[in-house]
Amino acid sequence: MRYALRKFGLLLLTLWAAVTLNFLLPRLMPGSPADAAIARLAQNGPVTPAVQRAIETQLGVPGGSIWDQYVSYLHNVVTLDFGVSYTFFPQQVSELVAGALPWTLIMVGLVTIIAFVIGTLIGIGAAWKRGTWMDSLPTMTGSFLSAFPYFWTALLIVFFLGYVAGWFPTSGAYSAGTVPSFSPEFIGDALYHAALPAITILLTSLGGWILGMRNTMINTLGEDYVTFAEANGLRGRTVAIRYAARNAILPNLTGFGMALGGVVGGSLLVEQVFAYPGVGYLLYNAVTNQDFPLMQALFLMITVSVLVANFLVEILYGVLDPRTRR
Amino acid sequence: MKRWTLAAAAVTAAVLVTTACAAPVQTSGGGNAADGTTSMLIAADNGSPTFERNFNPYSPTKRNTASYIYEPLVIVNEMSGEETPWLAESYEQPDASTIVFHLRDGVTWSDGEDFTAEDVVYTFDLLMKNPQLDLKGIGEHIASTEVDSSDDSAVIVHLSSEDVPAAVIIAQTMIVPEHIWSGVADPVTYANEDPIGTGPYTLGDFSPNQYTLVKNESYWQADKVAADELIQPAANSELDIVNKGYDWAYAFMSDVEDTWVAANPDHNTYWYPAGATIALIPNMTKAPYNNLDFRQGIAAALDKQAIADKAEQGYVDQASQSGLMLPSQEKILNPDLPNQGIIEQDNDAALEHFAAAGYTMSGDQLVDANGQQLTIKITTPNGWSDWLQGVQQVKNQLAAVGVNVEVVQPQPAAYQKEMRSGDFDMVMGTVGGTGQPYQDFGAMMGAQFYEEVGTTAAGNFGRFQSPEADALLDELKVTVDEQRQDEIAQELQQIAYDQLPVISLFYGGSWGLFSTKSFTGWPSADDPYASPKTWDQTPLLILTSLKPAS
Repeated sequence: MRYALRKFGLLLLTLWAAVTLNFLLPRLMPGSPADAAIARLAQNGPVTPAVQRAIETQLGVPGGSIWDQYVSYLHNVVTLDFGVSYTFFPQQVSELVAGALPWTLIMVGLVTIIAFVIGTLIGIGAAWKRGTWMDSLPTMTGSFLSAFPYFWTALLIVFFLGYVAGWFPTSGAYSAGTVPSFSPEFIGDALYHAALPAITILLTSLGGWILGMRNTMINTLGEDYVTFAEANGLRGRTVAIRYAARNAILPNLTGFGMALGGVVGGSLLVEQVFAYPGVGYLLYNAVTNQDFPLMQALFLMITVSVLVANFLVEILYGVLDPRTRR
Repeated sequence: MKRWTLAAAAVTAAVLVTTACAAPVQTSGGGNAADGTTSMLIAADNGSPTFERNFNPYSPTKRNTASYIYEPLVIVNEMSGEETPWLAESYEQPDASTIVFHLRDGVTWSDGEDFTAEDVVYTFDLLMKNPQLDLKGIGEHIASTEVDSSDDSAVIVHLSSEDVPAAVIIAQTMIVPEHIWSGVADPVTYANEDPIGTGPYTLGDFSPNQYTLVKNESYWQADKVAADELIQPAANSELDIVNKGYDWAYAFMSDVEDTWVAANPDHNTYWYPAGATIALIPNMTKAPYNNLDFRQGIAAALDKQAIADKAEQGYVDQASQSGLMLPSQEKILNPDLPNQGIIEQDNDAALEHFAAAGYTMSGDQLVDANGQQLTIKITTPNGWSDWLQGVQQVKNQLAAVGVNVEVVQPQPAAYQKEMRSGDFDMVMGTVGGTGQPYQDFGAMMGAQFYEEVGTTAAGNFGRFQSPEADALLDELKVTVDEQRQDEIAQELQQIAYDQLPVISLFYGGSWGLFSTKSFTGWPSADDPYASPKTWDQTPLLILTSLKPAS
């Protein structure tokens, strides 16, 4: 219990530091929201002085001193009221986030869990049968695939599976013209659209889990207690899972916690290539448009989820490995 | 003008691969349905990545197609400055501080109410009360407006000063219905989800991934509208545009002949006409940029066509130093300017100008009196890859005359800030583009936009000062005589040519892709009645000029 309390105190402290940084960082970026909005319009040609003035009066500069802004920001954080987005004026930030979050949570979240489970299992198998083809095949394919940058894999997949073969839609989260609902048709449609981005993330992240699990487990397999268990005549499966894997999984679990926390940040490049309406794309829009309210809300969401995920993993650690409780 | 995000660039690369593989082309786009209705697939508006439902015509984040629903009094083709009467049948300027608009009869709002002079007066008042919505800047020109007491289809606008060029600015205001907008609590944050306008289209089905616009059957020139339905998807990547059989798209496409045209050689065409001038803007508050000889040296050392070819892949031409968009503004071009105002590359002349400015060649470097190499700094926004290509070419060409160029690439927002506050040596920027000499030359060199360095300016970013130019602009502002207006415009071109307030490089393009499969009558180099752009008012000209393909 003292262990959990100590960790919780640490969580609060880190949270405050993250929230404060989150307030400062966007304000250190050069240029105001109005500059960013004008720059965006300038991509389509000259922006007349009248338009510049209208945008300045509309977006302006955040009012009040830095300290006043900080206090009202803290108040907003506590009440979860982030105001109006600059990029998507006059939309509420909360609506935008609520619109993007489910897509990311379901697509990226599920894929992360699937990749972790499959990758770890393959890793266990590879380490147990080390030296055979069951080891070399997944490790080599894994490291090969994870060496590709996300967006490059994504482009190859769009081109071959989406364009040349025409099996899957190349962009969007659901068919054009349909309105999101919970009907079976719509869910099927959404899954169909999620296929390519999901495959991309799965392919590129699987290798890391396989290699991580395999390498730690090979170390563990050399430990005396494993030899002892084998000498006692325990079944191979019991030794692999209960003795070796349980101890070897700890680093992978930390990685999983981080990955899970990072899910809410979306998967920027993949979401961009597939025009997937998730948090990553939203964050990209917010950053390129100097959209302080939206950026703050998203950064806050990401930091909080990473911190909470880490906290949970540490608690779980305590359960899995009694030594850390001391 | 095009900007490439990483993904867009990569998708373009994928498109190039496509042609090599000669994959089958799907045509799921617009066309003529069995029941005789015609639909048109357009890439006029991009979701990011989905659409927000905002049809407030004065919002900077509105859907582009809001201007297919709302109409202005007069449409101006900004390439030529040509005016087409629209909701106003005509207007006149009885004196330099009054405008009278004569409104068209028989126009109704799409909910059946009549369009009246009160709607026009209401709209002007709305924009004056809410400067956030005043995208054309009419508030700074208007003192008051009223319905003519002797003619209820005429609106009289009293200007705040003698201000002839204001007429064309005010005439482009999109008019909204008073009976709906007067009930809106806050027009600035109003998203106008169910727009009611006078235009050829009304909003059909809206979803975040796609929306449709359907023909307004009670439109005042409904017989001229060929397409019964416009379909606008949110995702319009280059890959989609090439494959899905779009009828009209606004997109820069690399190697357009082998991508877009090759996808359907019988029907796919493109037109990439010249837009506003892309120029180097020198900071007149700094040495040596404030030295005319220095600026002339730079201008003479550059081969603008080579820069244009490098930046825009040969789709646009070098720009005239007159400040005009050629050939569309040819008829007001000053005939005294040699070579249509294009300054040809001449390194010997450049070196003479640099010598007059105090720089001499030493070895392969151009040095000042202390033997220091002449080094100039050019600011261009990060990620605008076409401009960067152009600047790299500038750098190479100036290196040939011994000038060292440092390229600075801040993020776009920081670039805007630096440009507007005068925090640069030489900046890449866009000048002109409205087709109206008073607006274009005013924003290029007028005292009306002059601000001290450190204060944000909305135009004249180079902080150029010329009493002569200001006197001409002041005269142009109050001159009703059209012949005198043209003379003044020519004198302003002469100043732009002689004084080099900006160093013109090339014309930014407008990127129109059209298909004649279902509709014909698109604008083209032979018939440049409108820019190919899909936003603002000129699309109304296109949508009322198309004919169904036979």
